[in-house]
Amino acid sequence: MERRSNDGAQAEPGLDARVEALSRGRKEQAERLELFDANAWLGEPAGFPLARGMEAPGLRKALESCGSREALVSHWAGLRVAAQAGNRALAQALGQAGGGSGMRALWTGLPLFPREAGPLPGAGELGFPTGGVRLFPRSHNFPLAVWVLGGLCGWLAERRIPLFLWHVEIDWPSLHALAVAFPRLPIVVETQTQKILYQDRALFALMKDCPNVLVETSNLAGADFLRFAARELGARRLLYGSFLPVNDPWAPIGMILDADLPWEEKRLIAGDNLRRLLAEVRG
Amino acid sequence: MSGPFIVDAHAHTGAMGLFFSPESEAPELLARMDGLDIQCCVNAGAWTYLLQGGREGLETLRREHEASRGRILYLGVFDPRRGREALRELEEACRRPGLAGVKIHPTFHRTPAEAPGYEALWRFAEEHDLTVLAHSWSSSEHNPAQALSLPGRFEAWVRRHPAVRLVLAHAGGRGDGRADAVRLAREHPNVYLDLAGDIFCYRLVETLSAQVPANKLLFGSDFPWLDPRANLSRILLADIPTPTKRRILRDNALEAYKLNLSS
Repeated sequence: MERRSNDGAQAEPGLDARVEALSRGRKEQAERLELFDANAWLGEPAGFPLARGMEAPGLRKALESCGSREALVSHWAGLRVAAQAGNRALAQALGQAGGGSGMRALWTGLPLFPREAGPLPGAGELGFPTGGVRLFPRSHNFPLAVWVLGGLCGWLAERRIPLFLWHVEIDWPSLHALAVAFPRLPIVVETQTQKILYQDRALFALMKDCPNVLVETSNLAGADFLRFAARELGARRLLYGSFLPVNDPWAPIGMILDADLPWEEKRLIAGDNLRRLLAEVRG
Repeated sequence: MSGPFIVDAHAHTGAMGLFFSPESEAPELLARMDGLDIQCCVNAGAWTYLLQGGREGLETLRREHEASRGRILYLGVFDPRRGREALRELEEACRRPGLAGVKIHPTFHRTPAEAPGYEALWRFAEEHDLTVLAHSWSSSEHNPAQALSLPGRFEAWVRRHPAVRLVLAHAGGRGDGRADAVRLAREHPNVYLDLAGDIFCYRLVETLSAQVPANKLLFGSDFPWLDPRANLSRILLADIPTPTKRRILRDNALEAYKLNLSS
């Protein structure tokens, strides 16, 4: 391989056809994955100055453009305003979107004590079936501790409702203690809002020790992480997420499509694992 | 051509101190390239070499280049805090095959990109017709040192050394650095942007393609920080014309690094 003596690039014969074939092949495979997105958002994003928010019709279109017909949907107001404001906005958006939208609610939660006005998971009617509950311990100023969250976690575990947590909102020893205290509670570690790469030693060790911990893949983007996690921890513990509309869904989809894994395991990660989890939710 | 044809303009090799990686060594990178139609990559250095520089690090990169049969090209690293020594090492590297340019990292090296200590490097790059790959990012609450690598800080060098090709790694990042990176790529024929890293912003490839000249965007993986499969699919599946994808995946890197790849 040499360095060229002149600037400029010329198209080489046949390359466009190869690029076209690679693009088309990936698009077709993505359709066959039957994606169920665990990490889609409505409203104005917080902390991403260049990102633009989406309402339900726009989000649905963005999801469908990459082959996702189902999604767990959250609302940014749950973080940037208050849990209750986010839940109200989410209920309103899902109501307008209609039952056939393929969107299921991921509510924002708070500790059950001291009791606060709803709508909140475990404290009042939410209006739509629950796909999961997310907590923001750092942003909402409570420790991720059993003595604070025991009531809510017991309520979730009884109903098999998954608990979602951004890794930037937790500390690892506390999460480990919580996962051990509630072994029947599915806990999904989310890889936002910064890449989880620098916490991967803690993440993988936690998952090894706690079978009820799963990980969402929108930014599980280190080299060969999917194959490693599937082999060492089990493909059933990985959930595809896009982080739309902040992030590009093709990044995590591409990692699934090209992973050195059997097609069946790719399908599990892409959507079947989340379908299985939600099928177990009671009430 | 029928073999691998893609150029990964930004990768690394070697174990990383900051995180666990299931694969990070040069043979693993090579195997990954084989599986993804990547013909050639530009290795921007191992973690220890990025931080410490030194002859030994350069020698490792050269050996990896040879073992890859020329498919893994490499960059020397210039840390202005050890400027003279670094230039001596780079001078030696220029006499051997595989050197594709020089990496600078104002954030890691705790030196603002516009600091006078970089002057010698820009002169060296001009004299030896070398491409400069510069870490670039946006202001960050989590990592204030990223401000040392804001794209606008490179502008004086770009004006003073128009013959040196500058690739702004990560295209200025996810925030306020982006606009300046785009502006530099639009205003200066010698400024390019690579897409390496987790700048996974929604429709970024489409947006940047519309904002900068067609020869300015480069595919980069940032292996092993990031899996090449993430950014590769983003480009292949972007809503842009096929010739634009081909340019990003290959032609623009050939131009920016002056590579002559046989198929």
